Formats: sequence, structure tokens, C-alpha cells
Amino acid sequence: MNAIEIRNLTKNFGPKQALAGLDMTVPEGAIYGFIGENGSGKSTTEKIICGLIHKSGGTVKLYGRDCTDPDVRAKIGVLIEAPGCFPGLTVWNNMMLQAANLGIKDAEREIVKILKLVRMEGAAGNKYKNCSLGMKQRIGIAMALLGDPQLLVLDEPINGLDADGMRIMREVLTDLAARGVTVVVSSHILGELEKIATHYGIVRGGKMICEMTAAELEASCRTFTALQAKDMRDARLVLSSRYSRVEEDEAGYLRVYDQVAPEEVAAYLFESGITVSELKSAKIGLEEYYIDLMKGGKAR
Amino acid sequence: MTRELKFESPSFTTRIKGMLGVDFYRLFHTPLFYIFLAIAAIIPAMVSAMTTMPGPDGQTMEPLYSNVWQIIAASEPLYVIRGIADYANMNMVFIFGGIMVSIFIGHDYGSGYVKQLFTTHAKKQDYMISKSLTCAFAMASMCVTYFIGGTVAGILVGYDLSVNVGSLLVAILGKMVMSLGWASLFTFLNVIFRRYFGISVASSFFFGTGIVIIGAAAVVESLGLPSSFLNIFLYGSSVNACLTGNIMTLVTCIAVSVAWALIYNLAGTLILSKSDVY
Repeated sequence: MNAIEIRNLTKNFGPKQALAGLDMTVPEGAIYGFIGENGSGKSTTEKIICGLIHKSGGTVKLYGRDCTDPDVRAKIGVLIEAPGCFPGLTVWNNMMLQAANLGIKDAEREIVKILKLVRMEGAAGNKYKNCSLGMKQRIGIAMALLGDPQLLVLDEPINGLDADGMRIMREVLTDLAARGVTVVVSSHILGELEKIATHYGIVRGGKMICEMTAAELEASCRTFTALQAKDMRDARLVLSSRYSRVEEDEAGYLRVYDQVAPEEVAAYLFESGITVSELKSAKIGLEEYYIDLMKGGKAR
Repeated sequence: MTRELKFESPSFTTRIKGMLGVDFYRLFHTPLFYIFLAIAAIIPAMVSAMTTMPGPDGQTMEPLYSNVWQIIAASEPLYVIRGIADYANMNMVFIFGGIMVSIFIGHDYGSGYVKQLFTTHAKKQDYMISKSLTCAFAMASMCVTYFIGGTVAGILVGYDLSVNVGSLLVAILGKMVMSLGWASLFTFLNVIFRRYFGISVASSFFFGTGIVIIGAAAVVESLGLPSSFLNIFLYGSSVNACLTGNIMTLVTCIAVSVAWALIYNLAGTLILSKSDVY
């Protein structure tokens, strides 16, 4: 069974159409990377899934049931924008309040367990307002995890985190997926997302333009030849005369995207009197795939 | 790896118990409630004390009240105000209470708590009921501190203490009972203006003063019509809970308060259900 199944979802804010017939399928147990530009409809979709805003049309099913069904909603954990915590209360008390709202019986034991899971066991007595951004994000996840949810919807949970915070978040989400929790996570930090996601959905202009598994992404991402030469300018000119797409990347490598063996590229340069100092074959990552896709689908 | 799913959500009793627990915890663990309890006690004391202070010419001002209990409730149902003494009684609690409710609910939206709440199984009706009951308790508590502050100040100033105890009790209980209706009105107003904190506070203040009913009463009286029908409104019934009240006054207060609480809770639930949460 799919955890989320959305068909032809539309949402209008007055005359503005935020979602224009979006389809989305999230299999159970997946870590679903939800990607799109600002204003593409990611947050709107997530808010509809979570019941915060009403859809204008289409269907949203969670585990085969309508997303407004309170029984199925009891199985969702959410972190949208920021955790709903009272700044003057401690982390522990905020979690106790949420546990009370959820009707959790053995709240103390569950909170201890969750705080440990998100590596926050030492911060339970801290006032929420005194927590760092990274801690607040993890508190948000901890709040979302109360009540043993089967589906987690996280909106930009790694924004503003330092390297260590990102690592912890990555470990937490991977742990959860290993426990069978389905995670939908939106983020602009695609490099991080790539490390954990098992599925991807790319949204643009309120429509899903691409959904795939990590394996499919891997297969779709074309390989390229990267090289450095003594005279990069000449090398680029020479290669451009023969290959259809040659670009210089930020690290100072020339990239030849045509499907050709690296040795063949090096030989051609050598014949043209240019010495290659470094040569390798590489694959584009999610970030580049996404950018290419947004530019018009060169990556595929 | 997938887990076997069991779909069940808590019953209404469990939900409302949990939400009330949260709201009462917040009420007791934030300074807001205690500040407003203190305000409710200080205001009647100040009104009593100021009226006995010497004026600029050295003469003592004309006392506002002749009896301690007039600080608590008017001697008779005075829908139209002819002087500050007609107005300055326990009904003022509903003005402070309105502001307190606005701040209390404003925190819900400002902190993102509402968003957190409505993504769970929580229902909009639970939210309305829980806020109305918690805030009604807060306002009823303010009635108690108002009573203490007003009585102590009245005794210290030296006002007369004679009273019909039954009517005084009816007046106090009546106003405490009215807290439920008022709290529901303020919750409703704050749900309507939830995205505009300033307007929420202003609207609560405006309706809390009872100015609409005072104006209506002036028109009714000028037309020579009986003003007692104004008791079907929150302010009317609150005014009716006075020092000449009887058991029927209390019954009216209960009926009016509960009826308006139901109306405002239903209307607030409807609005929350139809609107998006930001």
C-alpha cells in the first residue's frame, strides 16, 4: 500500500493557482525527497497532506484513506516551518503538552525514548527559547514523533543546520526509515537529500514533473568526462569543435557530457597538441540533475 | 520494512481531557493569568480609594458608592449608564478578560502551537470548547479576585456593609456563570481575527465594554419599551445579575451564558473548519 497517493490535486489562493493538478505517490517505508523551487507548491502540498489547508480539487489518500480522516491523521507526525513550542517552557514540558494533546498514556517513557533517538536527551530541561536552531529542528522532529506516527512530513528540516546538525538529522531520518516510518522531506539542500532519499518527486509550477526512485535517478544521471589541461582555454575550444556539450565547472574541470570514453577525449586533445593533466569519469548528482531538469531536461 | 497499521484516534473525552490539560497547564504556568488576577483585584480597590481622596481644592470627592457591595454589582439592573458608578462593577472583569483571552489565544497562533495541534487528530470543536472553558475559568477566577479587592478596599474606605446576602451571592455567581458566554464570545472573535492580533484585542475590548447593548438600551428606553429583554444578551444578563437579583436571575444567567457559549462555539468551529491554518 502507498503511504501517500495524490491525484490531480489543485489549490487556488484567490486568483492564484498554487497547485495545478499535482500527482504524487509515496510508497510505504520510503524517504521521499520532495524538491522544487520556492513557490513551486511543495509547502502547499505538505500542508494539504497534514490537514492545515483545504484542497480546491483532486484526491489525497493516506494509506488508502482520505487525508481528513481523523483516524489516519493520528498516524502522521509533522514539522512544518517551525515546531509549535511555547518559548518560555522547557523542551520536556513542551513535549509533555503535545503528548497530552495526543492522549499518550505512558508519555514520560515515550518522551525519554524519542529524545534519545533525536540525540536531545541532555537538553530536556532547556527552555525552548534558549535552544539553538539545530536543536529546535530536532525538537520539531521529536514532537512529530510523539504518538508513534507511521508517516512523517518534514518541511525543510535541515535548513540552517551546521554540518554536525545535518549529520545527526541524516542519522535520525535513516533510523526512522529503518523502523518502517515513511518520511516525506522537502529541502533545498539537495546534496544532503541525496544521501538519504530512496525516492524523489520534483515539482514545478504546481505540478509534479518527475517522480523516481534513487536507483532510477542513478541510472538517469548521465556520466561525463572531467579533465584538466595545461591550457584550459585551448582545450575547451578544441573539445567544443568536436563534442556537443562542453562546460567548465566550479572546481575548474572541463566537462564533456557526450557519451564517450575518457581515453578517447584525452587522445583527441593529445592529437591537438594539448596535454591533459587530470582525467576522470564522473556522474552528475541530484543537484545538477535537478538544475538540468529545470533548465529543460538536459540531464535525462 | 513496513509496520502493521492500526487506525484509531482517541475518543472525544480523551481528546478534550488532553487539550484542557494543556490549556490549564499553560494558564497556570505563564505570568499572564496572575497579572490579570492582580489587575482584577487592584482596579476596584483603586476606584474605591480614589473616590475618597481629597480633590484639588482640598475637599474630599463625592464618594462613588454608599455601600461596599455596589463595587461588586449595581443596586438594580442599569442598562443605560448615567455615571461611572453605574458601570464600575464586576462587569469590568469582562473587559480585562477579553484582553487576556486575546493574548492567550494569540500565543497559540504566534508560537505555531495551533499548526502543531491541527495536524494531529485534534478537531476544531475541541479547540473552541477547550479555549472557552479555560478562559471562562480564568474570568471566573478574576471575578473572585475582583470581589476580594473590591470588598477589602470598600471596608477600608468605610462604606456601609449592609446587604441582602442572597442577592449578593446571586450577583457574584451570576457574573461568574456569565464568564462562560463571554469567554466563548472572545474565543470566537479571536478565531475570526486570528491573523491580526491588534484587531483581536481591540474587538475583545470593544465587545467587552458592552457598549453595543448600552447603546441599544438607550434607544429602547427612549422609546419607552421595557429594557428587560436585553437580558437575552451577554451584557444584559451580566447587568441583570445585580444586588436585587433572585434565583430566577441566576437561572437566566445560566441559560443565557450556556446558549451564547453554544452559539459562539458552533460558529467558531464552523469558521475554523472552513478556513486554512497558517
